[in-house]
Amino acid sequence: MGAPFDLGFVFSFLPKLLTTLSTTLLIVACSLLAGILVGFIIALPRLYKVPVLKTLAEVYISFFRGTPILIQLFLFYYGLPEVLKLVHVDMTRTPVLVFVILTYGLHTGAFMSEMIRAAVTAVDKGQVEAAYATGMTSYQAFTRIVLPQALGIAIPVFSNLVIALLKDTSLAFTLGVMEMTGKAQTLGSVTQHFIETYIALALIYLVISLCIEKLLLVAERRLLQHEAQGSPVKRRFSLQKKSSYRRIIAELDSGKGGGTI
Amino acid sequence: MKLDPSFIWTAFLQILGAIPTTLYITVVSVSAGFIIGIVVALIRIYKVPVLHPLAAGYVTFIRGTPMLTHLLLIYFGLPVIIDGLAAQFGWSFRSVSIPMIGFAYISFSITAGAYMSEVVRSGLLAVDRGQIEAAHSIGMSTPQALRRIVFPQALAASLPNLSNSVIGMLHGSTLAFTVSVVDINAKAQIVASTNWKFFEAYLAAALIFWGLTFLIERATALIEKRINLYNRGGVA
Repeated sequence: MGAPFDLGFVFSFLPKLLTTLSTTLLIVACSLLAGILVGFIIALPRLYKVPVLKTLAEVYISFFRGTPILIQLFLFYYGLPEVLKLVHVDMTRTPVLVFVILTYGLHTGAFMSEMIRAAVTAVDKGQVEAAYATGMTSYQAFTRIVLPQALGIAIPVFSNLVIALLKDTSLAFTLGVMEMTGKAQTLGSVTQHFIETYIALALIYLVISLCIEKLLLVAERRLLQHEAQGSPVKRRFSLQKKSSYRRIIAELDSGKGGGTI
Repeated sequence: MKLDPSFIWTAFLQILGAIPTTLYITVVSVSAGFIIGIVVALIRIYKVPVLHPLAAGYVTFIRGTPMLTHLLLIYFGLPVIIDGLAAQFGWSFRSVSIPMIGFAYISFSITAGAYMSEVVRSGLLAVDRGQIEAAHSIGMSTPQALRRIVFPQALAASLPNLSNSVIGMLHGSTLAFTVSVVDINAKAQIVASTNWKFFEAYLAAALIFWGLTFLIERATALIEKRINLYNRGGVA
């Protein structure tokens, strides 16, 4: 199977793979934006318990969490043009990348909405009531009181979702998108040095996910700086918060982290 | 190409035959991963000298890279290692005799092991330290305390994560098609391309996965109820 192992190839493949890094990052960035948007829209009917829309949102989340992303990719790639043909929209010239981003966006959207919902419900209801009592409007209470706290709670889960999304993009090659994994497979079959290419590929993924983790850790510290340790009163407060974190992280952390593709 | 709703049912019946393969992969990788996970978690909790950084590195590497790269690395790397060793020591065993699904088993077990170790670790850490001290104080040995006191509680604490891991591995098993194992996903591809009805075939596959996931979730809810019996408050 192929040529003998040569460590030198790992290093010579690294720059070649890095040329397609932009495609991978483009998929991640676009689907992330789409995912946050979708997640927010899906979370709202569940937060406000809108009758019919709430059930629809639940079915949506159940479907996207209950089926593998690979199946979803194929389903959208082959299914969407056929469905849209019924309403006379031609998608034969749409680039594959659009389908990939759409699928990942909808997929992450389901997880994002769970994250948003959990984070918002984790903020103590009394806080909103206190905000009302001081005369804030519900918009003010949301943006000034709930949102900053919810962001701090959500960010560890968010970090996991971004890393999971990054790793999921390795499947885009199945539709023929030339991102890093696709490039690695081509390089491997051209040079017959498969092991070296995949080691290089794994190294790049590892470095990017470590970077994302560190970056979001910094963001987490910044967002949580108002939860300062110091006076005993504040300390008790932050301990209470911690338990709510743990609950959410336990609930959601491996929701995506648990053996994700 | 027209939508053919009746073909969804035809495809559904054909894909059903591939469910055992998917379940084998899931069960093998989850069980082997669970054992690896317990070992790795214990190494990390008890900070076993040399093994501790190795275990941490393993978990970081696996969690930081896509499952697909693990599969491809094992698929291309393992035969080289095995054949190299076989040539050196004169074994008669060659990597050719490993069935394709063997690569999937090995690779997915390694993947599951890293995720499971985090699940097990968080479960074990969730148990109050005082519990093990209490067990020691009434004369239990550490293995006894772990087995009778800590593990049952850790299991209850980590059950939701465990269920998520099982679902994750079920979904991850769709990657087995890259090493030509005919699981649900690969079967759907075959059905789709032989009949030229892609949408219907993948819809059927998606429905099957949805159903399987739902079953796992229901089963977990039942087990959770049973396992948390000791936890109900109040009298009786």
